Formats: sequence, C-alpha cells, structure tokens
Amino acid sequence: MSATPSTTLTPNDIEIATRAADHFTRIYYTAYDSDTRLADLPPFYRSNSSLTWNGKPFQGAEGLKELVAKMPATKHEVQSFDCHPIPGAQPPSLLITVSGNVTHGRGPAGNPPDTPVRAIEGHPRVFSQTFILVPDPTAPPTKPGEVAKYYVGADAVRFVG
Amino acid sequence: MSVSAPPASSKSIATNALRNAGLIDRDAPMRDGDNPGGRKGKLRSGRTTRMMDITKDRPSSTRMHPIRLSASAGPSDPLAIRGAARPVMSGRIRRNAISGSPANSISSIPIRVTKPKAVDSWREFVQKRWNPELKYLNLDSMIEDETVKKYNLTPPGAGGSARDAAVIFKLASQLKPEVETLSLANNNLTGTLLVQLSRYLPKLLNLSLQNNKIRDKKEITMIVPRKDKMIHLRELVLTGNPLREQAYKAGQGATYRSDIVRRFTSLAVLDQEPIAQISFDGPQPSTSAMPVEKPNATTFPFDMNPSFVTGVDGGLVSKFLINFFNAFDGQRESLINAYDPAATFSFSANTSIPARARLVGFHSSREMPNQRKLEWKTWLDGGSRNLNRIGGDPQKTLQNLHVGGEQIISVLRSLPSTAHDIGGPPEKFCIDAFPVMHGQSMGLLLTVHGQFTELGTGGIRSFDRTFMLVPATEGSRAKANGWDIVILSDQWIIRSYSSHEAWKPSPLLVQAVVNKSQNGPANSGFSLMSFPPDQQAVLAQLPEAQRNLVVQISSQTRLNAKFAIDCLQLNGWDLGKAVANFNQVKSSLDRDAFL
Repeated sequence: MSATPSTTLTPNDIEIATRAADHFTRIYYTAYDSDTRLADLPPFYRSNSSLTWNGKPFQGAEGLKELVAKMPATKHEVQSFDCHPIPGAQPPSLLITVSGNVTHGRGPAGNPPDTPVRAIEGHPRVFSQTFILVPDPTAPPTKPGEVAKYYVGADAVRFVG
Repeated sequence: MSVSAPPASSKSIATNALRNAGLIDRDAPMRDGDNPGGRKGKLRSGRTTRMMDITKDRPSSTRMHPIRLSASAGPSDPLAIRGAARPVMSGRIRRNAISGSPANSISSIPIRVTKPKAVDSWREFVQKRWNPELKYLNLDSMIEDETVKKYNLTPPGAGGSARDAAVIFKLASQLKPEVETLSLANNNLTGTLLVQLSRYLPKLLNLSLQNNKIRDKKEITMIVPRKDKMIHLRELVLTGNPLREQAYKAGQGATYRSDIVRRFTSLAVLDQEPIAQISFDGPQPSTSAMPVEKPNATTFPFDMNPSFVTGVDGGLVSKFLINFFNAFDGQRESLINAYDPAATFSFSANTSIPARARLVGFHSSREMPNQRKLEWKTWLDGGSRNLNRIGGDPQKTLQNLHVGGEQIISVLRSLPSTAHDIGGPPEKFCIDAFPVMHGQSMGLLLTVHGQFTELGTGGIRSFDRTFMLVPATEGSRAKANGWDIVILSDQWIIRSYSSHEAWKPSPLLVQAVVNKSQNGPANSGFSLMSFPPDQQAVLAQLPEAQRNLVVQISSQTRLNAKFAIDCLQLNGWDLGKAVANFNQVKSSLDRDAFL
C-alpha cells in the first residue's frame, strides 16, 4: 500500500471540491430536514457506505434508512464547513467536515409548559459530521460538464454540545 | 397633466435607440400574434381559457378584485398593500400606478373607466408569453410587445421600475405549472431591476439574461444576495451583458466564469458552456414524489453510544492520538513526520455560541474563569477556512488549505499554543474510527471530539478533529520516526466550549421531560439501571427504541416495567399519549403498578 500520491492538487481541483462541498451540504441537509427525508436521503448513499451515528454503526443506504426512519423531525443549521480533496487517488475523494446546530422535534416550543427555564432539552444541539465523498466511475453522468458522480462513502456524526 | 393621445412617441424613441445600439433583435420573436384589437370585450373573449388557467385555483372572489394578486397575500407582502394593489380613483389611473415613479414625465393620463388596470394588462401580457407545455415564460424584448404598446405599459428597463419588474415576477410566480425556464433577454435590465426575481421565482431551472445591462458583480449579488437563493438554477445566460463582454475583452473570462459559478451552487451551464463539476445522486423529482412517512417520531430511535473504534487495533489509535496531541501541544515541528508529503491541513473557526452551553452559563462560570478572555480574532485572522464564510473568496480558499508537511508545520506553529489533556479524564474525549476505501486500498477515518486550553488566555475551547490516515510504509520518514500511521488529511474545527456531557452514553431526549410525580426524585439520572434486576431482564428483550420509551415513561410516572410496557402498548408506543393516558387512570392504579 502506497501513501504517496501520484498527483498533486491543482487550484482547479480545489475550486471544484469547494463548490461540490457547498452544493452537497446544501442539498444534503435540505433533504435531511424535509418531510420526504426517507425518500430523499438514501440516494446519496450506496450499499458499501459506512455510517456511524453517535457511535452506532450502520451499513449502506439500507442502514441509513433504518437510522432515519424513526428519527424525529430535524432542522440543521450549518455554521462551518470545510473540504479537502484527499491526496492519493484520482479523481480524489473529498473529505468534508461540518459543524453546526440541529434542532429535533419541536424545539424549545415543544417542551412541556412547566419546563425550567434553564433546562437544555429541546434546545438545539451542536453536531459534528464528517463525510467522505467517493467518485463512482460506473454512475452515468446526468449533467453537462460533470467530472464524476460522487456518493457518501463514509459518514460519521456526533452530537457534541 | 392631460394627454389625449397615447404616449407612444417616447416609447418608440426608446425602442429605436435600443435597436440602434444592437441590444434588441430586430425581429424579436413573439410567441403568438395575439389579438391586436384594443376593445375590452374582444380582449376578454380572446383570453378566456388562459385566464381560467391562472385563476381556476383561486377563489372566485379574487377574480372580482383582480388587483389582488394572490388570495394569500397578507400585509407582509408589500405588493399587496402598496403599488399595484392599491385601488385607483374612479375614472383615472396613474399611468405608472404600479411603479409609483413620480419622476416619470407622464405621471397620469385620462383613461376610460373600463380600461383594465396596469396589473391586469401585465397579467394579459404574461399569459400571452407563457408556454405551459414547456414551462417556459418568454419575456424577451418586452418593449416591442403589442400588448405592452396597446396598454402603454412601461416595462422594467424601458422606464419601468423594480416594482414593475416585481409585479411581473409575481404574476409569473402564479402560473401553473411552475415556471422552469425564463427569458428576460433584450430588456435593458440592470441588477437593481432584478432584486425581486429570486423571491418570486426561487425554483427557476433556466434563466436567460442575454443582452441586458448588467455591468457589475454587485448586480449579480442583487439577483442572488445569498447562496441559498436560486439553488436550483442549472443554466444561466449572461452573454451580451457588459459584465461578461468586458471580462472576455480583458482576457478575464475564466475569472468571470468562476465568479458567477461560485454564486450559483447548482449551475451546470453558463453562457451555453458546461461547468466542470461534481454531482450527486441526491433527491430526484421521482424519489421525492414517492409517498413516504413524514418524520413524526417524538423520541430518538437510538441512544448516545460510547466511542466507536472498529476494523483497527484500538491500541494503534490510542498511541497515535497520544503521540499526536503531545507533540501538538509540546513541539509542533516534530509533527512534520506524522504528515504525508502531500498531506492536506486546514482549520475552521465556528464562532457561533452553542445554545445549550449558553443556557448552562459556561461563558460566565466560576469553574472556567478565563472564558471571557477568549477571542476569535487570532483564529479568524490566522487563516480559518470556514467555507461558509470564505467560500466566496477564491484566494483565501486556496491560501488557507495547506499542503505538505512543511507548509502545515509552518501554519501550526503560527496558531495559539494549546494543551489537550489527552491523558486526563477519558470522558472528555470522544473517538469514532472505522476503515474506509481509499483509492484501491483502505484508509482509516478517525474523528476526535474534545476540548483544549488555549494557553495564552487560559480559556477552554471545544474542537472536532478529523484525520484521514493510512499505514506508514516501511522505509518512509514517518515509519523511521515511530509513526505507524500517517496523516493524509487533517481538518480541525475550533468552536466555543460545550460540555462533554453531550456525548455521555445515555438515552437522548427530544423534548424536556417534566417530572409530574409528587415527591418523586428528579428524573435526571433515571435509567435502565433504576429498574430492579428482574425488570431489567424483561426490558433487555425489547427493541432498543421501545426500551428507551419505557425508561422515559417510567422516569416520569414511576410505573414499573410491566405497567409501563402495557401503557405504551395500549397507546401505540406514543409517549405523549401514554403519559396522558397514565394521568387519566393513575388514581385507580394499585401500589404494585409502581416501582
């Protein structure tokens, strides 16, 4: 196994990666937060995708369905994200990290009326999510100018605040 | 002012000027001949079916008051309370009633009572230009249109204001099916006139602004003030605008393209040339139309679990982390051997204040007296690569991504000194690690969440750090220096302090749960272990989601496992219903129903 990449990153690689991450984070969390989440989210994944949700592992698009089927309604707010083309493969996989907050259920408004003011439950949590987006050379292109079609190869999320 | 003849002269002068400037095609296409007559009766009969198309979904009362554009228009809609929606005085209509532009030389003309109001004329025009089969609204060369001439309308770009444009866009937003393709070609438009476009037509797929007067990048910002506007736009034409033409003349075509492309996240084609991009199998219209259950769970299906490390020797991961953070805190230059020669590194500051930490008051807690001294400036000025903030700046995007050991060490040394208490209480850190494909071989994805002390201030910050790792090859510099695994990518998020309680293994609550049982102990700390062992054994056989519900209802009601399960089963495993049911019947329950 060689760790030494055969190619170096060009500004163009980085620009494409940056735009992909921007686009991906928008459509991913829009899909996650939508009423049709159960239909919208699985297409991002493939059968070989590896996921962990707060330390619990799931496998593939089917695992993802199992994970989100009984998940309360969500509202994500992306506060920070970053993306690198991972060196060593061409076209490169993308490493994306996202930091933001997520409200579950009805938020503070859904708390019982006599909830203490300082109670944290119901308020947004801080989440940290890491994706590795992997090119799928077998997927047919659907857009003009498409370099490759990418899917979520790995996804690790934690509530961290 | 009273003018008896239609003020066609000024318009034809403008038209000729545009023609002469080459900005309007001489034979601008009109989709249909339409009825050239100006009599009201004739008009109405000529467009009956189309009027039905646009009005049939609305209550008939809106047809009685056609100036009201939308049945749902409330006071928050400026167009409904000002401008176009304002009723006009009997017998007279301000020519620019919908623009409200007092600067216009012809501010009012006498017209017959029966003449349609401006918004109705615009509606007729929009209807005429609409092709529902193609979902295509062709609003090119408006000034040349017979309907526009007939009613003396002043299109935006030919004397009309942004409000006139907004009226047109609003009418377009009411078309069924939704407009996918819009042409505004050959209209002399500037960005100012297009500020309301994304508000009324946020789902456009294709937009032509060919041959208009957009000169400046700032005008593009007026069209899409934020990147969450027009997120579906696939194709955009700006050919024939000074912004584009001057950029190409100056040899800045590539810069122009990347500027535009960055502002429209989903754009695939610009000026009829495809954009190199990565795409995803995200939600498709076909999948989104599938009937699926809405997210309606009121509890989490799974608990917060402890650190998860699989497919790799846990000792290897621990050794890496201890060595890495010790070197990071003590001697950052020694980390040069931990990074692959082509490795990537960046850090991002998430400066938002976490809601839960604020409620708890960590910012002003006595245990952490230095929190108020913390500032973001060092991190933001030092090269934070939060793409949410700097994604629009290609220079920073490039500069703040560091490639190769030497560059990485150089930036690491410029950042504030830190202390990660990696040998301290283990609950303050949380680790997830699992193998992932990397090209033809395997790599390890390692995420670490925790906290560090910023030594300059003594304040504490939280962080998330993600490593993409591969085994160090025999004979490599990493291996020679004691690193069994080497870093390919390293992303570091620095954020305001939040307690490590966030990842404490336990059931997760969606909403607050208030303990209603009298004299009962506070429910915090109530868990599976609070049940007697025999009941725990029963609960262990339940699916995890159901077990969590039992724990939750018992923490509120103190019901024992058997009664809690019965109560939940009777109520379809809906916690809210079960608690309500319990409250109805609790006075009739025996003592042995409780823990």
